[in-house]
Amino acid sequence: MLLSGVDRNRRLLTAAAGIVLAAVMGLVLIAGFRLATQIRANVGTLQQASELEAYPSAISEQLTALRQRLDTLEYTGHVHGELASSVRGFNRDFTALEHQKGIDPTAMRAAVALWTNYTPVLAKVLSYHGEPYSDTATNSSLSRSGRVFYAHVRRAELFAQANAAALHRELAVVSASLQARTAAAASRLRWLLSGGVLAVLLLGLAAAYLQVARGRGERAARDAQDQTRDILATVREGFFLLDADYRIGAVWSQALTTMFGRGDFAGLTFEELLRDKVPTETLNTAMKFIKLLWGERAHENLMKSINPLGQLEVTMDNGRGGKETRYLQFDFHRVMGPKGVKHVLCAVGDITSSVMLTRELHEAQENAHSQIDMMVGMLHSDPLQLGSFLDSASAGLKHVNAILKEPARTHAEFSKKLSGLARELHSMKGEAAALNLMSIAQRVHHLEDMLAELKARSELTGNDFLPLVLKLDELLAHLRGVREMTLKLSSLREQPSPADGTLSTPALRVPTAGPEELASTLQSLAHKLAEDHGKDFKLALSGLAQCPPAYLGMLKDCLIQMLRNAAVHGIEANEVRRAGAKSGGGQVRVDFRRVESGYELTFEDDGAGLSPEALKEAAVRKKLLSEEQAAQLDNRAALALIFKPGFSTRNEVSMDAGRGAGMDVVAKAVYGLGGRIGVSTNPGRYTRFKIALPALGETAVA
Amino acid sequence: MDTVQDTGARRTVKLLIVDDSNIVRRRIERSQQFDDLQVVGTAANGLEALELARRTNPDLVTMDLTMPQMDGIECITQLVQMKPEVRILVISALADKATAVEAMERGANGFLNKPFTDRQLNEAIAELMY
Amino acid sequence: MLREEELKTFVDGTTRYFEVAAQQPASIGSPYLLEGEPAMHDYTGMISVSGKREGVVYFTAPRAMLTVLLMKMQESDFSHESMRDLVGEVANTISGNARRDFGHDFVISVPSVFAGEKPQISQPTGARAFVIPIHWRSHSAKLVVSLT
Repeated sequence: MLLSGVDRNRRLLTAAAGIVLAAVMGLVLIAGFRLATQIRANVGTLQQASELEAYPSAISEQLTALRQRLDTLEYTGHVHGELASSVRGFNRDFTALEHQKGIDPTAMRAAVALWTNYTPVLAKVLSYHGEPYSDTATNSSLSRSGRVFYAHVRRAELFAQANAAALHRELAVVSASLQARTAAAASRLRWLLSGGVLAVLLLGLAAAYLQVARGRGERAARDAQDQTRDILATVREGFFLLDADYRIGAVWSQALTTMFGRGDFAGLTFEELLRDKVPTETLNTAMKFIKLLWGERAHENLMKSINPLGQLEVTMDNGRGGKETRYLQFDFHRVMGPKGVKHVLCAVGDITSSVMLTRELHEAQENAHSQIDMMVGMLHSDPLQLGSFLDSASAGLKHVNAILKEPARTHAEFSKKLSGLARELHSMKGEAAALNLMSIAQRVHHLEDMLAELKARSELTGNDFLPLVLKLDELLAHLRGVREMTLKLSSLREQPSPADGTLSTPALRVPTAGPEELASTLQSLAHKLAEDHGKDFKLALSGLAQCPPAYLGMLKDCLIQMLRNAAVHGIEANEVRRAGAKSGGGQVRVDFRRVESGYELTFEDDGAGLSPEALKEAAVRKKLLSEEQAAQLDNRAALALIFKPGFSTRNEVSMDAGRGAGMDVVAKAVYGLGGRIGVSTNPGRYTRFKIALPALGETAVA
Repeated sequence: MDTVQDTGARRTVKLLIVDDSNIVRRRIERSQQFDDLQVVGTAANGLEALELARRTNPDLVTMDLTMPQMDGIECITQLVQMKPEVRILVISALADKATAVEAMERGANGFLNKPFTDRQLNEAIAELMY
Repeated sequence: MLREEELKTFVDGTTRYFEVAAQQPASIGSPYLLEGEPAMHDYTGMISVSGKREGVVYFTAPRAMLTVLLMKMQESDFSHESMRDLVGEVANTISGNARRDFGHDFVISVPSVFAGEKPQISQPTGARAFVIPIHWRSHSAKLVVSLT
């Protein structure tokens, strides 16, 4: 919990108030004590002063009493003693008073002066020792010394009478000044005490106020703490702070518990948190990534895209005892302190639903793309070509499934399947790519990737093949889709052209590329076919430039199909060719030319040629002919079987199955344009197709 | 390899573009929208980049990672040694996060994924230079 | 399109049964796509699934395998009824596993059991069946997953 600045100030203030309070109390006490001491001293002095006031008259009276005793010849010793005692007392007290402070100095000086005059007069009286009277039997009289004494007393009496009042007055002034001073001190003390009490009261109030405010502050802090706790308990993201040692701080949000299936986050290192969830490689990169945040060079905003934990796949308990895959997103933010980066805040979000959504969107998009892509591919290629590809692809996948179906229990058995599968898929991919059917090619490619990945494993089980069979299923579904679309497209294409009817140019055909492109397409296809089938042959093209644009599309479709047939069935394997004493590689020759009646295309390969017997057998096997019918066909008619719809020379489940098909479709396309097609062959020497097309604008009747 | 002479008078940000693709180089040059940013050179590989950096003393370098002769990682390492205050923005299509992180470890200041929008490029430059 | 995790859940449910009941795990063979008629062994336990996916999942095994399995489970009753119970149990385990992993996404029926006779399996249109051979000791059974 953070201590807010306001709160800290308040605490300081309270402490300061306490200190001031104590200081003021101390000062008041000290000052009060001093005043009280002063007042006490003043009161004592005042007492002395008022006592002194009585002395002058007392001394006067005592002198008078002494003189009267002398007059009446009474005993004087007692009075003389009292007088001595009074003078002694006055002297003592007066001296004491002289040193007191705060006494009116004028009055005091006057008093001192007066008393100084008293002193010699009185001294003569007091210094008398002896018998003042001379006693006879009948009469008593003053003795000689008595007379002198009397004279002293009389003078003193007169002096005292003359001066007592003045001395008394001065002493009264001294006393009054002392009294005034004491009263002032007392009043000061009163004020001081009132002030002190007031100050204490005020400080008490202030302290009380601060205490209340602090209490309020603490409550606010507690509330804030509660709120923080509530937020952390409720928020759906995982939050925690990492320190410079990559350790998780004490405060973290509850969501982490479900995300990571544990509750002991405080003090855990980031590495420990993810060790079992993340591949080591990724974790290492992630640690380096976080380290960058502690450095100064890297800009936080400009490194989000390289966050290795931007989308982390983890397996979690689903709360029902099972496991499920979730996607977590880790976001890192610098938390700055006064001395640079203080923490790194890590926010973990469960982005599974958005990942799924993105994926679905992506799939949908991909689907849409691949549909368009498929359409484009299909528009570029002709239905007859496409059909033959689809046939061969389906057969290929059937073969793939057959390979999968072979029982396998050991690694060796599983491993053996892989190469067979790879072979099948590779040629399929090539063909799809050649036909521009990228959506198919990509899917096959993906399957190939999976195979390559499996090949690298040291231990193979049936489990490893599960994704493969799923992908295979997806590919088959995709092929079904393509086939459906082909049917739809071909139904569109077969609608008669509404304009002049010269061409059965499909309504949906996109502009066909020119003759040069056709030539290069054919060359690359030839190259690929030679590679795929391990055949060695050259393709020689001539006269394609003379082909009118209207025929180019059809020409391309037919040539691709015938080239494929030639590569697969016509041209023999190298060994066979050598055994048959044929010179080196095979030769496929294509010649297009203008002729009087229109155009003529010759397609010839110097391969194995066609066997009428084999064709008849195939036709019987495909139930196109009965055996009797077949027996009655001459060679020429037997060769014509190749143009019959549904005809294929091979029937096994293999990659090559279906590839023989297609001449029926070629023938159909030719007839559609009002052309004719023929075939001649010399077994072991060559196969030659001749296609005649009408000149444009003079369409023959089909 | 074309260079613009360093005028040195105004306080401009001098940008060096390093990418082996002509298209990308032109794209960066064209897309930046700062008046006070001056492209002082473009290089097609790490070696050229170092040579140009020595001559033109750039403030900011946009750096591709996969290039012939000398790749971006090595170039960043040497560039930072040579001019520690230079800012480096990696612009790469690299999907491999480990290499991307390594580029940052070597001293790059930011990373921009290819393909990028004009806005992303300008924001990244602004983040690094202003 | 069936996802790998889903297929795995059914496969795991099956192999788990062998592991728990007979203390001997079953391994899975090379999976493939079913073409044509479903291939049935002597006894079949089947669950139907609706909800997010529609279709059936069944486990079909030959009598010999079930007999050995019963023996391993210390059972002495090898009657027809025991065999039916056993494949029903396997189907139950599969359905339990699926409930655990998919929760409410899937609605799974109580297993039904077939013996000998060819069951009426209404495969959903557009769903292809995945066949996963289950090898246990020297015997082989099949798990067939056919879901849209």
